[in-house]
Amino acid sequence: MAIESFVAELEAFREAASESLGRVADGAGLEQARIEFLGARSGRLKAIQKLLSGLVATDRPAGGRHFNEAKAAVTALLADVQERLVGGGAARPTADAIDVTLPGDPVRLGHVHPITQTIRRVQEIMARLGFESVDGPEVEDQWHNFEALAIPAEHPARDPLDNFYLAVARGADPLLLRSQTSTVQIRVMENRRPPLRIVSLGRVYRPDTADATHYPMFHQVEGLLIEPGTTMAHLKSVLRQLASSFLGGDVHVRYRPSFFPFTEPSVEFDMQWGGRWIEMGGAGMVDPAVLAAVGYDPDEVSGFAFGLGVERIAARRYGVADIRDFYRNDVRFLRQF
Amino acid sequence: MIISTNWLAEYVSLSASADALVERLLLSGLNHESTRTIGSDTAIEIEVTSNRPDCLGHIGVAREAAVLFARPLHIPDPRLQEAAVAAAADIAVEILEPQICPFYSARVLKGVRVGPSPQWLVDRLATVGVASVNNVVDVTNYVMLECGQPLHAFDLAKIRGGRVIVRRALPGETFTAINHKTYPLTDAMGVIADAEGAVALAGVMGGAGTEIASDTTDILLESAQFAPLSVRAAARGLVLASASSYRFERVPDPAAVDWASRRAVAMIAEIAGGHVSRGVVEAGHLKVSPATILLRNGRVAEVLGIEIPAERQQAILIGLGFVAETVDGAGSRWRAPTWRRDCWREIDLVEEIARIEGYDKVPENEPIAARPVAESARERTLRRASEVLVAAGLCEAMTRSVVGAPLEVTASPWGDTPPLVCAPPLVRGADRLRRTLLPSLLEARAVNVAVGAQRPDLFETARGYLARSADSSGQASDDRPTAPSPVEEPLLVSFVIGGGFASAKGLAEAVLERLGLVAGAVSDARVVVRPVVLDLFAPGRAGEIVLERPGRAAERVGVIGEVAAAALAAAGLKDSVAAAELRLDRLEFAVDMEPARCRPSDFPAIERDVNLIVDQAVPWGDIATAIDDGGGVLLEECRLVQVWTDAERLGAGKKSFVVSLRLRSNAGTLSGEEANRTVEAVVAACGRQCGAVLRA
Repeated sequence: MAIESFVAELEAFREAASESLGRVADGAGLEQARIEFLGARSGRLKAIQKLLSGLVATDRPAGGRHFNEAKAAVTALLADVQERLVGGGAARPTADAIDVTLPGDPVRLGHVHPITQTIRRVQEIMARLGFESVDGPEVEDQWHNFEALAIPAEHPARDPLDNFYLAVARGADPLLLRSQTSTVQIRVMENRRPPLRIVSLGRVYRPDTADATHYPMFHQVEGLLIEPGTTMAHLKSVLRQLASSFLGGDVHVRYRPSFFPFTEPSVEFDMQWGGRWIEMGGAGMVDPAVLAAVGYDPDEVSGFAFGLGVERIAARRYGVADIRDFYRNDVRFLRQF
Repeated sequence: MIISTNWLAEYVSLSASADALVERLLLSGLNHESTRTIGSDTAIEIEVTSNRPDCLGHIGVAREAAVLFARPLHIPDPRLQEAAVAAAADIAVEILEPQICPFYSARVLKGVRVGPSPQWLVDRLATVGVASVNNVVDVTNYVMLECGQPLHAFDLAKIRGGRVIVRRALPGETFTAINHKTYPLTDAMGVIADAEGAVALAGVMGGAGTEIASDTTDILLESAQFAPLSVRAAARGLVLASASSYRFERVPDPAAVDWASRRAVAMIAEIAGGHVSRGVVEAGHLKVSPATILLRNGRVAEVLGIEIPAERQQAILIGLGFVAETVDGAGSRWRAPTWRRDCWREIDLVEEIARIEGYDKVPENEPIAARPVAESARERTLRRASEVLVAAGLCEAMTRSVVGAPLEVTASPWGDTPPLVCAPPLVRGADRLRRTLLPSLLEARAVNVAVGAQRPDLFETARGYLARSADSSGQASDDRPTAPSPVEEPLLVSFVIGGGFASAKGLAEAVLERLGLVAGAVSDARVVVRPVVLDLFAPGRAGEIVLERPGRAAERVGVIGEVAAAALAAAGLKDSVAAAELRLDRLEFAVDMEPARCRPSDFPAIERDVNLIVDQAVPWGDIATAIDDGGGVLLEECRLVQVWTDAERLGAGKKSFVVSLRLRSNAGTLSGEEANRTVEAVVAACGRQCGAVLRA
């Protein structure tokens, strides 16, 4: 193709564009013109661009220059028209304008239960510290729920009024709904050798009358670490990281001596939340008797354990005043989380 | 336990404020409940853990304070001025049941003038929340709150036969306590009896017949050891907990039995007058066997991660009442105080040192080595199932694991052994461990409908509880730890939604798809749905999902259905509801989490519709299988567009499946001819396997 014909094509394109844009009266017309002349896919300029390759090599630089000029001119013209339209356009709504305040098409989203969300959050944080989540039966035998945890037969914690015993037995002892998830820790220790870092979690059962802060079924998350040379300083350091990740870096944690049959020394730990100390859970160094019960040598390995009541944390985290709301399953409640 | 600060000052002189005291006690093991000002006194309520009966008396708390603030502790030494007449002249003591009462001691006071207590005593008791009764009873309460040993004063004149006997309650025996209520007793409980009958419920409460009255002149003062189990049986069995039973359940200091007796008798004589008879009448053996414990050097640092100087460790233990027997290069040997039955091992000494030194001294920036951790198959399966259901707009519910009889009447899809029953019930009327979550979810839906909540579509992931039948486990009575539990706990994911079978099935299939379990998928596992009859679902409107794997027996992994009218009515629901339940415990092992998928073809597809006429009885599943077989590798997707019947146009007993086939090749653009051949093969397979004919 001769360069002259190519330039003529460009001239025709500019004239047609100019004429067409002069007639444009609204945004839709402008868009139509833009697509017709400058459209990236099948605009008229695009078609002319293809002709460039038909020029002899020596003409191509000049052709390219003409092409760019024409493109810039039409683009500028388009911008002028757009300004003209917008300048007086605000007061003149176009026919197909929409009421942008109308509601969008609803998308119905489901919601994960706040208790599950809290458990997952703790699991996530603990996983980063190398703790693996483990699971175990809720119907337990007396060995795992009591004896291996250094709770002897005459201990008040085994009273029938304080547990949900079943009519079914394993050997001579009736089974029961577990009263703590430490049972899972025993099961894991019985089957594995240290080093061990696990989080056991799930439902536990204690005969409390249901009220705003108690429910006979609730959830626990318990952590256990068994490694040679583990000290109370490791326990405090892990709980510090859990607290900081969960509540923020500057949260205060304090430790009060306490008493649990399966840890010694035993502590309860509180975190400062909204200016008040909130009891978060119990912890301690795994009692040597528990280590011995699962066949570990207490002089070789040591470890720590801690437990948290999930409902208490979730209630605090979400400002839920009555934990029974967690079990009412009213979707108007659940959809807030 | 409520502490009076004025009272505490009798044993330890503290310059610290009440708040500072509270803070130190709190951080060393006595949690703070409340502080109140009462007149010139301050009442501090503390929480005492069950291992510390010594702190159920002011002296025990004073000892803690003395160690914490490094102040001397002063404990009174009661001295008696005894009369010539022997206590044994008036009373004999016999223990028939040493298991209930290992040791019993009685002292006698004569010529006492019962009357109001002096004001200081009334005030002390008032601070700790105890009402004044008379000068004798008040002293017994005072001494108990001082040292933790419960006491009881009897009117000696009303003890019949001059003797007390400690025995088990007799069948049918009743007892009228000082609260003037009468209780039926059982042989798990101990009583103090005179020659004619029970005069006190051992360790729990005295009897109305022998109580100290205004005309009482002679007193028998009991100081004894009662076993925790029988005291608890009585206190709980009769709902008659007392300050005395609370302490006996925790085992008070055996050495305090005699101290408390002397202290009380001396105080009564001083306040109410009278003469103390000579000697003490005793029965049984007082078991005082404090442990001797070796504390190895370096052990404290090994447990706590901090160094505490040996002198400081020793000072703490001595302050708490431990006695150093030997100290050498290897460590030190300590005799525990009689009031610290909880201390008998090395670790107990470490804890004592740690709690007095303070856990705030232990650093919280000790690094722990990194360790890899992966999500288990079960966790991933659970999370994926939950993701699908949440994405589909369902809310996760949490319902009780234990339900009432009305919910459990429906048979479980997972076996017909009866539900396990627990005692006590979880909540009133709910004592059956559920075998399926579906009735609970129906109930939760009804709660939502009742409050007008919109679209209450709920799901739950939880366990069911199934008793293994004796023959299926084969050894249900085996008690070896390795024996299978007599209870199976399937992990269930269940949902209840508004709509029909197809809605529930679509959702169940989406969950299965997310787990990599698609019929004919890359995974070698395959799921099929077959009709099933279950009480919970409407007849003819339910299916079971069956997992088929090569080399294994097919097993049920889920059920889907429209809920039966009876079940809807039982839950109080009117509109139709569909539900499904899947067993994740059976699916988790079949799940294909990292499937090796193929690259999608770059070549264009050809769509062809076919209209197949079959007998009414032919299920879609059979046609789908035939289409799959006939279509081979070129069949990308087969979609059922429509099912219709028309006796006139199709013939009676016939139905038509309109099917849209998408054909595509990985190797190149499909020609019309190739497509035609594939469609012919599909039609032929349907004809061969299902008797289908192509509708012209």
